[in-house]
Amino acid sequence: MSVGRDALREFWASKVSKMGVALLVLLVVVSVYVVLTYPLDFGLRYWNNPAYWADNPKAVPPEWWNLFTDKKLPPHVIKDFHEPSDVRDQRGRRILEYVYSFDFQYDEFPSFLSISLNNVTFSSRRPPRVEIFLDRPDNISVRLLRFTVTGPRPGEEAPYFRYVEAPNRVRITGDKNVFSALSAMLKKYYGLSIRPSEVGEIGAEKVAFGEPSGDGFKVLRGRYVLRAVVTGYDEDVDVGMLRMVVGGRVYGFSGTDTLGRDLAVGLLFGFPIALLIGFLTSTVTTIIGAITGVISGYMGGKVDTGIQRLSDIILNIPLLPILIFFTFVLGTEIPRLWVIIAILIAFSWPSLTIVVRPMVLQIRESQFVEAAVAIGAPRLWIMFRHIFPQVAPFVFAQLIFFTPSAILAEAALSFLGLGDPSMPTWGQILETGFRSGGVYIGYWWWVLPPGLLIVFAAITFVLIALGLEPVVNPRLRRMK
Amino acid sequence: MAVLDIVNLRLYYKTLRGTVRAVERVSYRVEPGEALGIVGESGCGKTSMANAIMRTLPSNVEVYDGHVIVDGHDVVRMSEEEVRRKIRWRKVSMVFQGAMNALNPVIRVGLQVAEPLIIHEGMDKREALEIAREKLKLVGLPPEVSDRYPHELSGGMKQRVVIAMALVMNPKLVILDEPTSALDVSIQAQIMNLLKKLKREMGLSMIFITHDIALASDLSDRIAVMYAGQVVEIGSAEQVLLEPKHPYTQKLLAATPRLRADITPEFIPGAPPDLASPPQGCRFHPRCPYVMDRCRREEPPDFEVDGGRYVKCWLYGEEG
Repeated sequence: MSVGRDALREFWASKVSKMGVALLVLLVVVSVYVVLTYPLDFGLRYWNNPAYWADNPKAVPPEWWNLFTDKKLPPHVIKDFHEPSDVRDQRGRRILEYVYSFDFQYDEFPSFLSISLNNVTFSSRRPPRVEIFLDRPDNISVRLLRFTVTGPRPGEEAPYFRYVEAPNRVRITGDKNVFSALSAMLKKYYGLSIRPSEVGEIGAEKVAFGEPSGDGFKVLRGRYVLRAVVTGYDEDVDVGMLRMVVGGRVYGFSGTDTLGRDLAVGLLFGFPIALLIGFLTSTVTTIIGAITGVISGYMGGKVDTGIQRLSDIILNIPLLPILIFFTFVLGTEIPRLWVIIAILIAFSWPSLTIVVRPMVLQIRESQFVEAAVAIGAPRLWIMFRHIFPQVAPFVFAQLIFFTPSAILAEAALSFLGLGDPSMPTWGQILETGFRSGGVYIGYWWWVLPPGLLIVFAAITFVLIALGLEPVVNPRLRRMK
Repeated sequence: MAVLDIVNLRLYYKTLRGTVRAVERVSYRVEPGEALGIVGESGCGKTSMANAIMRTLPSNVEVYDGHVIVDGHDVVRMSEEEVRRKIRWRKVSMVFQGAMNALNPVIRVGLQVAEPLIIHEGMDKREALEIAREKLKLVGLPPEVSDRYPHELSGGMKQRVVIAMALVMNPKLVILDEPTSALDVSIQAQIMNLLKKLKREMGLSMIFITHDIALASDLSDRIAVMYAGQVVEIGSAEQVLLEPKHPYTQKLLAATPRLRADITPEFIPGAPPDLASPPQGCRFHPRCPYVMDRCRREEPPDFEVDGGRYVKCWLYGEEG
C-alpha cells in the first residue's frame, strides 16, 4: 500500500489540501448534525408550513446586527407558560393569571404582540373568558382584548377540550378590538382622538409601546407587564400552555424571511442537501463515466463507436434547457431533487467517458494487458483488475472536480425557480430572497448567506481538487 | 504424442500497405521434454508465431489457418472462449518479451503470479497466493517478494517473477519469447541456468524464441531457423549449428562474431523482404549466393536431409 500512502502524504503536504479537508470536515459535521436532528420531512412539515413560523417576526435581520447599528433593536421574545403565575378562586370562579414582566429599553417598537392558547379544558356550560392587559411604564393599564373560548356544542359532554390540535393564536396587534381599546386609551390619557382604524394604520404596536410625540409615536421605555387572565366558571378549568410573543426586530443567528422562517434553520438544512447532490451526482457520474470509458476503450469496435457517438450526442445537448424541460415534465411525479440529480448524471457522464477512453486505448496496448490476455483472463477481469486501477487516480480526481459543479448546477436551477419545493436548498433560499424583492429592500441576511454558503461548498471541493492535482498529475503525465 | 503439432500454419495481417504474410505455412512439432529454439532476424515472424499458438492475436488478422494442435485440441478451430478456458495457461503459457512491462505496476507481484489460479481454478486469494509463493521459491525468489510491487524489483527479479507466472498452472509447454533480451549478460546467464534447471527438473517442453543463436544453442534440443515468415531449416541443435544446410543458416552463422576464432563476421547482402510483397519462389533468393532459376519461379518444399532434419531449399531437392 506504499503507493497509496505516498500519495496521501503528498496530498497532505500542501496547505491548500489541508484547508480543503478542514472545510470538508466542517461541511460533513454540520450535515451529520442536521441529518441526526432534523426530521426527514422537514421541508414539507415545517419549512413550507407557514403556521409553524407564525410566532416569528417577518423579515428581520439576525440578532448580532445590533453590534453594527446605532439603533438598539428589540430581540424576539417567546414566553411559554405551562403553569399560571397565579391562581385565585373568587365568587365561584377560578381565575388563572399569567404575568410576563419585562424591561423594554430599545430604540424600536416590537414588531408585533401575540398570544396563543393550547389545550384549554373546562367543564361548566359557560366557557372561560380570556382578558389581556398591558401595564405600561407610565402607569397606564389597558385591557387590550377580551374574548371567550368557544362554548360547548349542543350534546357535547363535559369536560370540554379546546385548541388541542392547533393553538388559538391571537395576533393582538392586528385585532380590531385592540385598536378600539388603544384608541380609547389615547383619548383618556393623552386627550387625542384617533379613530380605531387609524390606530391600525399607525400600527397597534407603536401605540401600545409608545407615547405620542410630534406627528407620530416614540418608544416609551421602561417596565411593561403583559397579563393574561383566564376566568373559568368551574374548578376544572385549565390551560395546557399559554404563549406570549413580543415580536422582535432582530431574530436568531440568520434573521428571518418574509414568512417569518428562521433562515438559520433553512441554511443548515441546505448543508446535507448540497453534499447529497454533490456527492451522489459526482459519484454516480464518475462511476458511469469510468465504466463506459473503460469498456469503450478496451472493447473497441461497434461497442466503442456506439458509446462514443452517444457521448457526442449527449455532450452536444445544452444542459440547462434540458434540465428546465425535464424538471417541468417530471417534476410533479417524483421529488424534483431526484429528477435534477438524475438529469445531471445522465448528461455529465460522457465528459468523463471521452477522456478515459484514450487513456484505456493506450493502456490496452501495454504488455501487462497482453500478458493478462495470454493468461486467459476474461475481458471483464482485465478491464477491472488491470485497466481500471491505471485510470483510477484520474477518475478519483474527476470525482472531486465534478462535485462543485453539481452543487452549482442545483443552485442555478433552484435560482431559476426549478428547485425541489419540498425542501429548502441554498439556491432556493436565494431565489425566494430575490423573488420577494429582498435584494432591493436590503434584506442582506436573506441573500448573502446562501450565496456565500454555495461559494463555500464549491471552494471546499476546489481546494481539495487543487491539493490532489500534484498527486494525480505525475501519473497522468506518465500515462501520456 | 507431441505436445504441440503445428501444420501449415498461416497468419496474415491486414494493413494499409496490403496483406502482411507474417507466418507462411509453418509446420513443426514439439515433443514432451523437448526445447525447440526458434531463431531469426527481427520481423521474421517469431513473435507472431508465438501469438498464433496462444491465439492472442491483434484485431487486424486477415488469415489464420492451418492447425495448431495442443493436447488434441486444434487452437485454430476452437472458439475464443474455449481457447481462453482450455488452452491459455492451462496447456501453454508464455514468458513475455520484456518482462519488465509484462507486470501490472499497480498489482502486487504475488497476486499477479496467482492470478491464473484465481481465474482458471476459481481458487480463493489466500490459497492461490500460497502456490504463487511456492513458484517464486522455485524460480529462486524469496517468498516475501510476493508482497512487493513490480517497481520494487530488479530486472532479473522481474524476469523470474514472469517465469514463475508461466509455471503456476504447471503447463506442458512454455513459450519463452526473448526472455533475456532486456537483461545484462550476467543476469542473462542466471536466467538461462534457471530455465535449464526447470527444463531438467520439471520435464517442461519449451519453445525458446530468440535472435541470439548462442543462447538458443545453450538451451535447445532442436533449432528452427525462420526467415520471412517461414521455417527454412529445422533440425537438432548440433546439426543446424555445426552443419548448416540452408544458405540463410550458413550466412546467419557466418555473421555471428566469435570470441576465439580469427574470422571477420560476414554480412548478408540485401535486406529482409517486405512481408507485404514477398519475392516469388524462394523467399531468400534475392540474397542467396547459390540462387538458381528454379528458386525464382517455384517455392521450395521442405526436403528431408539426414534423419529428421528439414531444409527449405532447392539445393537439396535433387538429393531427396
